[in-house]
Amino acid sequence: MTSLPMPPKTQAFLPALWRDGNMVQRLALVIGLALIAMAILAPLIAPFSPTSQSLLGRLKPPAGFEGARPGNLLGTDELGRDVASRALYGLRLTLSLAFLGASLGLLIGGTLGMLAGLRGGRTEAAIMGAVDTQIAIPFTLVALFLLTIFGNSLEVMVIVLGLSGWEQYARIIRADVSRLMRLPFIEAARCAGAAPMRIAIRHLLPNIVSPLVVQFTLSLSSIILLESTLSFLGLGVQPPTATLGAMVGVGRDYMPTAPWIVLVPAFLILTVTFAVQILGDWLRDRADVRLRSR
Amino acid sequence: MIMRVLKTILRMGLTFFAIVTLVFFATRLSGNPVDFVLADGLTQEDRDILIRYYELDRPLLTQYFAFLRGFTDGQFGLSFLERRPVADIVYERLWPSAQLLLSAMALTLVLAIPLGVIAALGRKHWIGSAVMTFVFLGYAVPNFVLALLLVLIFSYWLNWLPVVGNATAAHFIMPTIVLSGVLIAALTRFTRNAMLDVLGQDYMRTARAKGLAETTVILRHGLRNASITILSVIGLQIAGLAAAGSVVVESIFAWPGIGELLVNAAIRRDYPVLQFGVITVAFAVITINAVIDLAYSWADPRLRKGA
Amino acid sequence: MKYLLTTTLLACALTGMAQARDLTVAAANVSDYLDPGRDHSNVGSQFYFNSFDPLIHKDYTAASEVFVPGLATAWDLVEPTVMELTLRDGVVFHDGSTMTADDVVFSLNRMFQADFPPYQVRMRDRLANFDHVEKVDDLTVRVHVKRPEPLFETLLNLQQTFIIPQAYVMGLAGDPEALEHDDFEAFSLAPVGTGPYAVAEFVPGQKITWERHDEFWGDQAPLDRVNVIHVPETASRITALRTGEADIATNIAPDQLSQIENDPDLTAVGGQTALFHVMIMNMNHPRLADPRIRQALSMAIDRDLLNEALWLGKAHVPSSHTMEEFGDLYMPELETFTYNPDRAKELLEEAGYDGFEITFDTQGSYYTNGYLAAQAITEMWGEIGINASIRDMPSWTGNSPEMMTRNWSNPMYFADPFGSFGVMWAPNGPSESEGRFNTDADYAASWDKFRYSHDVAERRAAYADLMERIAANPPVLPLYRPYESWAMRSDIVWAPKPGHIPYVLDFRAGSISFASN
Repeated sequence: MTSLPMPPKTQAFLPALWRDGNMVQRLALVIGLALIAMAILAPLIAPFSPTSQSLLGRLKPPAGFEGARPGNLLGTDELGRDVASRALYGLRLTLSLAFLGASLGLLIGGTLGMLAGLRGGRTEAAIMGAVDTQIAIPFTLVALFLLTIFGNSLEVMVIVLGLSGWEQYARIIRADVSRLMRLPFIEAARCAGAAPMRIAIRHLLPNIVSPLVVQFTLSLSSIILLESTLSFLGLGVQPPTATLGAMVGVGRDYMPTAPWIVLVPAFLILTVTFAVQILGDWLRDRADVRLRSR
Repeated sequence: MIMRVLKTILRMGLTFFAIVTLVFFATRLSGNPVDFVLADGLTQEDRDILIRYYELDRPLLTQYFAFLRGFTDGQFGLSFLERRPVADIVYERLWPSAQLLLSAMALTLVLAIPLGVIAALGRKHWIGSAVMTFVFLGYAVPNFVLALLLVLIFSYWLNWLPVVGNATAAHFIMPTIVLSGVLIAALTRFTRNAMLDVLGQDYMRTARAKGLAETTVILRHGLRNASITILSVIGLQIAGLAAAGSVVVESIFAWPGIGELLVNAAIRRDYPVLQFGVITVAFAVITINAVIDLAYSWADPRLRKGA
Repeated sequence: MKYLLTTTLLACALTGMAQARDLTVAAANVSDYLDPGRDHSNVGSQFYFNSFDPLIHKDYTAASEVFVPGLATAWDLVEPTVMELTLRDGVVFHDGSTMTADDVVFSLNRMFQADFPPYQVRMRDRLANFDHVEKVDDLTVRVHVKRPEPLFETLLNLQQTFIIPQAYVMGLAGDPEALEHDDFEAFSLAPVGTGPYAVAEFVPGQKITWERHDEFWGDQAPLDRVNVIHVPETASRITALRTGEADIATNIAPDQLSQIENDPDLTAVGGQTALFHVMIMNMNHPRLADPRIRQALSMAIDRDLLNEALWLGKAHVPSSHTMEEFGDLYMPELETFTYNPDRAKELLEEAGYDGFEITFDTQGSYYTNGYLAAQAITEMWGEIGINASIRDMPSWTGNSPEMMTRNWSNPMYFADPFGSFGVMWAPNGPSESEGRFNTDADYAASWDKFRYSHDVAERRAAYADLMERIAANPPVLPLYRPYESWAMRSDIVWAPKPGHIPYVLDFRAGSISFASN
């Protein structure tokens, strides 16, 4: 047990990451950054408005196929909207929702999990009771319930998505923290009279970064998938707003006849999730000192 | 250990009561079932008649106590929509759901744990990357896209597999694969990471230093210690599955499962079905989790001692 | 593996041929209960006709009404308010009992003098003019109405007046000698009628199995057994036809038809269903109180474009709230609803529309193309400068004071304007009672004339007057008669019959056959 890992310095972070990575990881990094850039620039690069319809130009295939409409590079959807433009705006909203949702989940679950692990006793019992309750109630029903009571708006959707994974953060962190609390170096710090806050930030946090990063990346993709499942059930964002999940969920009936409506957003979901997963794993491996020192 | 079991049971009871109460009042908050259960376009007079008939005009607390009484006499009421005992309705769906869940868990365990170990050991090798790439694919495809693609390929075009219901073993193939995709991804990944954590631990070095063969070290020490994390993840995943009920898979494969039942009951505000269904699922999940918790403390000697 | 599967499928196909009289229907929706009396849903109407009969049948191959004997062989108006019916001798219910006048009196009085709340509701909205039924002898009954009834046969043909067995129902729950509400609840899970198919198994929401009723009074049913299974996903329903798991699939949206048409093994049939998808507007919403706003909303919708784009031109856009099935009362010459975006803009300006948000409620994909239509309609409103948005609501919002506009349907419950517009838009009827429609004494007077007059010309004049009032102060816009399709194996000869109410799956003799191949 030598020194504890410190968070990498931000300015040197990306270059250092790049140096470390193998081909697949570098590719994932490039794809990830490109997707983020596309999402940010969507209003500038999308050829059409994502909601403008053309009822007589419905279900036109992508460029290069018979019957394609000039301008609609990736074809048009069930209301004659430009699939490429909707996909770009959808990517933008989906990424925002996923990041906000995952961060909210991390914030709520992380805090509660840390609190449970640090305090123990009644606090822990109460928090873990809430976790057990949440785990035992089907989340789709929780989402349904929140969306009906508070109305189906983007803000409510963020909260719903954020709540979707808090109990997993809480459980993982609680388990890790209680494990760490029994380790000699923490006991030493406690005996030396370090404040709980200080223990949490200086000693515990660096040691649970790795499961947190993994959970964060996992939840980014599971939130994207949850959002598409809610759309499948008709509980997603309200039309005509585009998210990748909603495009897939609403377009699924067209899979055999107009597959581009589904495949374009599904491919984007796949790419995003894939890149995020590889990056998450990579970060995890880097953060793990013990492995690096081996 | 006995204390721990008792404590766990007490905690189960408390959680269960919290859920029962929460579910009852939450459902009442989410809107008057009259607008959902009854047909549209009713006159006010007709609405009143039906509200009285379905006993929706009883005070909330009366309804709550009537509901609690169900736990003593087993009468949990009639579905608003189907007008038959909710226990019958839920029971019909329970076994098909459990079957699907078990087959998905079996496939997951058979594939994910070896894959995770391979990925951890071959971390610096192309095999590790290949495994993880494959696994991530399972994660990245929305499950209904995967389901529809499978249906399109294996049923629509090739005509190899049936698509409706749960009558034969062949009916299980596609739903199991779809349901397992995410599970395999999650579990492989956690197994890999847990293994990596364990491989870096001092006792592994000690074991190795003692001259034990690499395979023995991995199987005896590595996997055993990693099993703590793996167990907790399995617990979460089962819970998540039973809970989320894999509605999507059930809809696409017309599987008479409990997920679709619950979501439809929630959407249509069939409170008696919803209440009873949720607490049934909750009971199953709580029990599974309690068992996992105990297994967890069994697998980690440090926790065992601590209890 | 492949070999194994192929042989299994082959075996299935062979047994399928040996008993070519079995059929499986993959249905998008299956009823939660089966009782023709309390039900008037589009889901339920699929299933009753195979198992039940009314006293008076009609020729269902014709859209207009040609009445033929059903469980009654003859009927005659003995007084202006009394009809005497002679019952068919030797009709056997699925439970083996023989139908008598007592069963008829029981079945009809359970509706006419309803005590069971779900029956009361149906009684009030369409059977309110019926007083009671009395038994004259074992094969003769008399039906009494309150006011002379111009639609006597029509109403005795309704699904709600189908005949069920008294002794069986009373014996279902509690005291077999007494009639309790629980008897009706139990009946709706184990229904028994006189029709050519008995319900052999019913799993609410999931499955219905019909078996041929060998003692049926009419022509023997052509199928031995029919399974209806619930398959909610469109893609799965169509795939089930390909895998041979189903023979007929219901609810195929127009956009999916090409998939069926391009497949030589499958075929699709469809028709303009006898109901209107409508857009309703809340007269009593403070923002929509000015009729000009609602007229503008109505005139801004290009229904022909919706038809061409979303229904591939297969739907029917009506000029008024009228259907061909209404016979003498069909009035296509009325121009109640028009498309005029320029006029709509003027009306908005006259009404002083200031850009406030107008919401359009839709219930997901409850109606075929409903989701698409909602988006297209709000876009059309946007084009005339209305700030419109969609609210996807999981529930019926038509009784909420906040509801501004939403989609709905006005089915034809029976072939008369009273069976469609007349039920939905009656004075103190559902729409008015829900608080989104107002009527005055003049409207009520015209409605009464159109409902009860025995003079066709007078009824037509009264109906035209009602339509004028609707145009002047619109609560509703009928969008179109949707085109609903069924897909099936190409050797099956089946099509919806024009004389039925919407969605009926009629598998009686002469309604379904198999092409020899």
